[in-house]
This record gives sequence, structure tokens and C-alpha cells, in this order.
Amino acid sequence: MSAIITLSLLAVLLLYLGLFKAKKALLPVSLLGLLAAIVLYSIQWDTDAEPLYSGMVLFDHFAVAFSILSLFITGLVFLLSRDYFDSISEHVAEYYALIIFSLTGALLVVSFHNLAMLFIGIEIMSVALYILVGIRKRDFSSNEAALKYFLMGAFSTGFLLFGITLIYGATGSFDLTEIKNYLIANPHSISPLFYSGILLLIIGLSFKVGAAPFHFWTPDVYEGAPILITTFMSTVVKTAAFAGFLRLFLTCFVPLQDFWAPVLLVITVLTLFIGNISALAQQSFKRMLAYSSISHAGYMLFGILSIGAASAGAIFVYSAAYSIASVVAFAVLILVKRSRGSEHFEAFNGLAAKNPYLAFTLSVAMLSLAGIPLTAGFVGKFMMFSGVLANYHIVLLLLAVLNAAMGIYYYFRVIVAMYFRPADREEVTVNANYKAVLFIGALLTIAIGIFPSLLAGWL
Amino acid sequence: MTDLIWIVPLLPFIGFLINGIGRNILGKPLIGIIGSGVVFVSFLLSCCLFSHVYDARQAGGDGAFTVPIFEWISAGKLSVGLSFMLDPLSSIMLLIVTGIGFLIHVYSIGYMSHDPGFGKFFSYLNLFIFFMLLLVLGSNYIVMFIGWEGVGLCSYLLIGFWYKNEAYAGAAKKAFVMNRIGDLGFLIAVFLIFTTFGSFEFSSIFPQAAGRVSGDGTLLLITLLLFVAATGKSAQIPLFTWLPDAMAGPTPVSALIHAATMVTAGIYMIARSNILFTLAPVTLQIVAGIGIATALLAAAIALTQNDIKKVLAYSTVSQLGYMFLGLGVGAFTGAFFHVLTHAFFKALLFLGAGSVIHAMSDEQDMRSMGGLKKKLPITYITMLIGTIAISGIPPLSGFFSKDEILAHAFVQNKVLWVLGFIGALFTAFYMFRMLFLTFFGEFRGSKEQAHHLHESPGSMTFPLIVLAILAAFGGLLNIPAALGGGEWLAHYLEPVFAASTAKTGEFHLEHGTEYALMAASGIAAIIMAIWAYGTYVSKKTVPVADGAERSLLSRLSYHKFYIDEIYDALIVRPLNKLSVFLYKVIDRAGIDGLVNGLGRTAEESGKGIRLLQSGNVGFYIFMMVVGVIALLVYGLIKI
Repeated sequence: MSAIITLSLLAVLLLYLGLFKAKKALLPVSLLGLLAAIVLYSIQWDTDAEPLYSGMVLFDHFAVAFSILSLFITGLVFLLSRDYFDSISEHVAEYYALIIFSLTGALLVVSFHNLAMLFIGIEIMSVALYILVGIRKRDFSSNEAALKYFLMGAFSTGFLLFGITLIYGATGSFDLTEIKNYLIANPHSISPLFYSGILLLIIGLSFKVGAAPFHFWTPDVYEGAPILITTFMSTVVKTAAFAGFLRLFLTCFVPLQDFWAPVLLVITVLTLFIGNISALAQQSFKRMLAYSSISHAGYMLFGILSIGAASAGAIFVYSAAYSIASVVAFAVLILVKRSRGSEHFEAFNGLAAKNPYLAFTLSVAMLSLAGIPLTAGFVGKFMMFSGVLANYHIVLLLLAVLNAAMGIYYYFRVIVAMYFRPADREEVTVNANYKAVLFIGALLTIAIGIFPSLLAGWL
Repeated sequence: MTDLIWIVPLLPFIGFLINGIGRNILGKPLIGIIGSGVVFVSFLLSCCLFSHVYDARQAGGDGAFTVPIFEWISAGKLSVGLSFMLDPLSSIMLLIVTGIGFLIHVYSIGYMSHDPGFGKFFSYLNLFIFFMLLLVLGSNYIVMFIGWEGVGLCSYLLIGFWYKNEAYAGAAKKAFVMNRIGDLGFLIAVFLIFTTFGSFEFSSIFPQAAGRVSGDGTLLLITLLLFVAATGKSAQIPLFTWLPDAMAGPTPVSALIHAATMVTAGIYMIARSNILFTLAPVTLQIVAGIGIATALLAAAIALTQNDIKKVLAYSTVSQLGYMFLGLGVGAFTGAFFHVLTHAFFKALLFLGAGSVIHAMSDEQDMRSMGGLKKKLPITYITMLIGTIAISGIPPLSGFFSKDEILAHAFVQNKVLWVLGFIGALFTAFYMFRMLFLTFFGEFRGSKEQAHHLHESPGSMTFPLIVLAILAAFGGLLNIPAALGGGEWLAHYLEPVFAASTAKTGEFHLEHGTEYALMAASGIAAIIMAIWAYGTYVSKKTVPVADGAERSLLSRLSYHKFYIDEIYDALIVRPLNKLSVFLYKVIDRAGIDGLVNGLGRTAEESGKGIRLLQSGNVGFYIFMMVVGVIALLVYGLIKI
């Protein structure tokens, strides 16, 4: 809990720094704050976790692992922010503060033990994002994205809240333990309110993770938002949303698996196909990444679909692999866009000849996203697929493999463009922060791919 | 002491890395020193290891040490460790590989000095030594297989070293493909061994196998497959045609890989697995049959070849045939003894041939040579020693080893002995033919060549001298009891073949008979040498030109019994036709069509689905509501 408080204070401090025009201090202070939070979480690792504050939050291994992952990825995003925020807005301090606020919400989402906290966490996370997406005030597409995101977000929040209400109506409590006990106590006389509540929660959470048919906001918002905000959304926010989703279902709804699993199955298959097939036809690298993030949501839903002891570990490794690779991909996109002014695949033509380092790290990220062995993405996919196989969803697995094959096609397009398409271009200048992030990203991707136990042992 | 065994293969590997990475940066002298130096240090360590084993044998032990390095793969019952085995057999192989390897590295410094790929050459050579040491030292079939594949790879790289010449690249490919056929046999055999014995370790397999009855069906299959592997690596019928073509590589490579070490891997592997073969008498008969057939066929081809390296190549195939004959008749020690002596004299002969070629400005045709003994005295004397040794004229080394094999063959089957004897006659004749054509008579080359003739530099003559001494006296290692010798090698290797000896009983031959056999082969070899002298020195006969008319037998021999052509017609061309058919019909039309069709469908549907993303929020929310309603309807039905 001290970490969450630290972060909230940090955000306020950042706003003051902005007020006193100490722009240079923003990045170091933010990074230090994140580091402090990571340390505070790490200290908690070995203590026996009990629900705190009348059962509002629970910092068990699950919560701590996902929190550290979120903090780490946010740190990478911050490293990329040097020169970036200055170029698109004069209110730099607000950027940092809002991201930290959103992160605080995410940390609540991964550690909630009470439906009220889930709701508050999601809202803290989302409200900050609505502003961040539209922070380029004079940019039409940014405004449009923010408005769309807000409208649809508000719409889906309604479902989420309604679902929570119905669950409360059936059980008389927001507490996860109470809800679980209700199911155990009444195995045969569960109120219809409860069932409806689960369905509405699925709708609300599917929206947050960007699963079909509630995914429509994703491509438009990802495209309109500043690239770095897109990075944050598609990594930290998505990871946190999945962790919350899984935490809720893993703690409470396992006994009713027969009821909700078919719904989730349909959502998963739809998500996979819509994400992958749409990604095939994209000409813009950024939009392709948006659709690929939809398809990755599909793979991560496997973890919830085949819910069990291994689910948490699988989603953790998968989201870590996916987030790291995404950060690398977006980082290279920022650099390429800065030098070429375009987000299309053609903008990457011939990159390998002038910037072999960029091309190599991006290739590693793409291989990881495609799930090629010896990268972290493979380990993640392997854990997901083996979970599905253990539950005998053979047909689902076949569909997943088919989709993975489609993924290879569009991920490799950029590799082909970088290495095999000649183009006259200038060398892209890369500052030290970017170099560091790309190095860390590629190194971790390969390290986890070779030694999966680095991560898989956490949960 | 034995704990440090891993350094022996590691050193050449480090040499490979340094020379490989620094091939364009380091100077030629440095590359040469590093390349030879690491092998020399390995050689010194090998000597220590050898003396360690030797002491253990003197003390009455079996001299076998297993040194596990690390557990490599562990999954269920399967467990593969990188571990090394040091025993009398591998200790001698260590000395051959590092010792002769070192000499050939030194030789290469001179021989390759003008080649732009100097660094690359030494890095490959070091890599080869590394893999060969893995093959020799492995304490299980997996490590052995890794070495086996690795030396095949290096052989491929080095045969095609001058890859810009298309024929050379083709020769490399041929060697690789033929070896792969054999390797498949090895791989299946290893699988079969694992399913039968549940282990890859020699120390676990051989005692289990010794408990089985002779003629066991599984053992028969395993040994046959292992023998298929050996025919590939050691160039026996039907997979021998790659070795003569492999002469496309630089001559030191021919000496090291295609004469002294790699091609004997098949014999080493069978000697290592001797108990399996002893319990599969049918396989042993096949080994003996293939061995003697190869020995005769290759010797017959060598009679009419004019390329100095081709003669030596066929001679190698033929001598390898003798080694297999030895294995087949149960003379494991004899076969291994021949590996040892052959390594000495054949490496010597190849290096000598290299020295001649070097002096002749890359001319390899003996019809253009002649009278070189005055210009290249050291090369001449050393090659003379090598020729006497290989021809089986006492008291040089080849006599003793060949004689031991033939004596065993005599006891087992008189026909094998007669055929082996004829092969030995051929050997003496073609070797002296080569010697006389090269060094005697008048010089037949061009003026520039004559002007350029010179003895090779010290780095090349030094290995020749050392090897000549070894070739001359190597036979002392195993002088038969009939000649009052102590059979040192046989005693030293006893524990390796103990299980087999226990099954077959001691070899026994009357001393009188043995004297007669020795005298017969020794005298016959001398007669053949004299005959060759008469033909090529006294009568000054020079082999006819390529297009000239030949008698039937001569034509068959000269054209290598048309075996390449037969393989081409029976295997290569039908396979090519089949692959063209598969490519055009099955692959292009069938599989590609299907895949592209699926891809196009996906892409087209992508274009369709993309339209759903219209940018209209009202439509998005409408679609979401459709989803919500569908879910709620589902809930209604389910509750």
C-alpha cells in the first residue's frame, strides 16, 4: 500500500515541479519514484498477505508480480519520453502526472479484493487516459480519439457498474471472499441476478481489454493517441485490465465455469479472428500494432478460459513478453516516424542498412510477438496453449495455431521491409535512452526465451 | 589429471574462434602459430593423458576413466550428458589426432602461405580437430554423433575450400550427401540403441549387450545400421565414391581428414562397439565382405590413375577396406593397428604428394612429372619410406599391421586371405608405379615448371621427416609373437576388446604357418615393386593419354568401373526427375496453390472486416449493443 501512496504523492509532486518550471527534473524524479515503488513492492514479496483496510486490497504474490511488471514497463515508457513530450505539448508535467495517476489506478486493479476497489481502480486508470489520449489539444485526430474513447468508455463502465450492483444484490457484499462463500454455500440456488451480473462484468471487462465485439474503440484510439500514450495503453493498461479480469474470475467465479466459459469462448475466437484478419490488410505499422494488440487480447483470454492454478503464471509471462516487445516496436516506430514522417510499412524500407541496431531489435520484438522460439513470446504462447490443451479445447487450439500463422505474416512484413526492400534514406539518430530501452527490451526478450524460469517461477 | 580432459578439445575450439574471428585482422604468422600452437598444447596434454592410462594399465587396471562434464539434456528417462571417456583406445586416437594434426598444421603454414583464405583455412582445421576429439572422447553415442556430424561438416567446408571452382563445390556437396546417407543409419541405430538398452552411455550399453545371445535380431539391426554409417564416413562400397572426389580440397586436408583421421572414424566406432558386432556374426561377415571387395575394387582402380592424389585417394579407400576386413574377421587390434600405421604412412604420402604438387606449380598429373628425386631429395626419401611401408615390405610398419589382418583372415576364411593377398599385390604395384613415375626417369613437364622446381620449405619437410620416422618404425608397436615381439599394442588394448575376446576365444595360428604367410606377402610385394621398376623405369613406359585406346580391363579400371555413371543413371537422375515432378505438380500447383489460396482468402476477408471499422461511434455502439443482447439472450436461455 505504501507504494500506491508514494506514487500518488509523486504525481502531485510532479505537478508542482511543472508549476515551478523544473522540466529537467521531471524524468529523473519520475523514474526514482517508480524505482522506490518497485523496491517497496519487492520488500512485500515474502510476507504473508492478508486483505488490508477492511478487505479492500490484497497484496499477494499475484498483485505484487503484476504491480512490479506495470511499474517496470511504465519506467521503460518514461525512458522513451525524453524529447517526446516536449515536441507535442508544452504541459509536460501534466503528462508525467497523468501517467502516474493512471498507473496508480492500474496498481489498484491488480490488487483489489473488493468490487468497489476494482471499479475505482478502473476509473482512476481510465479517466487519466481520456485526458492523455486527447492531450494534443489542437490535433483533430487526437480530439476525436479522446471523445470516442470517453463515449464508449462511459458506455461500458455502465455495464461494469451494473454488473457489480447485480452481484451485490445477489450476495449482499462487494468482498471477493464473501462472494466466493456465497457460491460455496448455495451451489444449487444461485440467484439469476448473479448470473446476469457475471455477464455484465464480462461485457465491461471485455471492453477494457479490447476483446471483440467490444473492441471497436481500440484501433481508432490507438491511432489517434500520441504514440507513447498508445504504448502505455497497450502494455500497462492492458496488462492491468487482464490481471483484474483474471483475479476476479479466479477468486470468485470458478465454480460457475460451465456457465461463462462458452461466452468467453465465443469472445475469444471472435477476437482472434477479427484482430488477425484485420491486421493482415493494414498498410500502417501503428494500426497493425493496434489490431495485433486485439489479437493478443484473444490469446490472453485463453488464460481465463482455461482457468486454473497455471492461469496466473501464463498471463503474467504472456503479458510481460507482449509488453516488452510492444515497447520496443513503438519505440522504433517513434524514431522512424520522426525521421520519415510516416507510420506506413514503406517507411521502414532499408532500415537495416542504415540502422542495423534498430532493425535487429525491432526484428527480435516482431519475432517475439509472432511467437518464434527462443523469444519470450514463444514461452508465453507455449504456456497459454498448453493450458488450453490441458483443458481439451482442441478445436480452439487449432484455431489459435491458424491465427498464430497469420500473425507471422504481418509481423514479418516489417522485417522484410527493413532487410530486403532497398530505399534511399538517412540514418535515424537514436538517443541514449532509446538505445538503452531497445537493448533492455531485446535482451529480456531473448533471455526469457532461453531461460523461461526467470519469469515463470514468479507465480 | 583426467579431470582436465576437457581442455584437450577446448583448445582447438578456442583456436577456431580466434582464427575465425580474426582471420582478416591477424597476420599470417600469428594465425599459423595460434592454429598450430593450440593443437600442439592439446598434443602435450594428450601425451600426459596417455601416460596416465599407460600407468594404469601397467598397474593392472583396465585404464578406463569416465569424466562427466555436465548434464546436457534431461527429460524423463532420457538423459544425455557431455562426458568424456579416456581408455586405451581413445588415448591412442588422441595421440594420432593431435599429433598428426599438429604436424599437418605446421605443414599447412608453408603449403597455404600464398592462399588468401589462410585464416579461414586454419580456423576450419582447428574446428575439425575439435570435432574429431569430441568423436574420439565421447563416452556416449550422442557426443560421438555430434563429433561425427561435426567432422563431416568440416570435411565439407574444406573440400569446398576453393568453392569458386564449381567442380570443387560439387565434390564437397557429393561428400556431404553421401555422408548424410550414412549418418541417417547412425541416427536410427542410436534410436534403436536407446529403446533397447535405455541409455546412450557406452558403459551402460556394452555390459547389457554382452548378456545377450549371439545372433540376437536387435543387435543385428543395430550393427547393420552402424555399419551403414561407417561405410559413409569411411568410404566403403557403396558409399565410397566421394573420397576420390574429395581430393579437390587442399592437400593438407586430404592428408589429415581424408587419410589419417576422419575416414578412420568408422573403424574407430566399430572397434568401440566391438561387443555389439561380435554378437552379430552375420554383420561381421558382411563387414568382412564389403571390406575386401572395397579393398580390391579401389586397388584395381588405382592401378591406372594418373593424378597423383587420385592414386593416393583410391589407395586410402583400399586400405580402409583392409581395416574393415580386419574388423570383419575379428582382428580388432589388427584393424586398429592398421589405422595407426596407415595414419603415419598415408599422411606422409599425401604430404609428400603435396610437396611435389607445390614444387610443380599445382600440377597433379604424373605424366608431366618424372625425375624429381634430385630436385626434391627429402620429399623423395620420405615418400620412398612411405611407399615401402604401405606396400607391406618388411620391416616397415605397414607390413606388420597388414600381416596381422591377413593372418586373421587366413584362419577365418582362406578365400578372404587370397583376395586380400591379391589386393596387397595391387597395392605394391600401384604405389611403386606412382613413385617411379614421379621421381625417376626424365622430367616430362613444361620449361617453366622445370625452372620453378625446388624442395619445399622447412615447415613442410619437417612433418615429412617426422612422419617418415613414424612410418618406418611404427610397426614396432605390435611385433607378433611369432617374430619374438611383445605384441605391446594388443596387450595395451586388451580391456577394450576383452568382452569380445571372451566370446570368440583367443586367436591362434601356428607359428610355421604365420612365417609362411609373412614370407609370401613380403616377397610378393618386392616382386611387384621390381615389376613396376621394370615397366616404368627400365622401359620408361608413360601412361597413355586420356583419349587413347585401352584394353577392356584397363578401360574399366581407368574409368573407375563406371560407378559414378551407374549411380548417376540409377539414383541421381531418377531422383532429379522425381523432384522436378514433386516441385512442379505437388508443390507449385498443390501446396503453394492451397497456401496462397488460404492467404488470399484471409487477406480479402481482412479487407471486408476492415470496413466494419468505419470510424462512426454510433455504429460501434450499435455493434456493442448487439453483442450485449446476444450475451443476455444466452443468459436467459442458460438460466
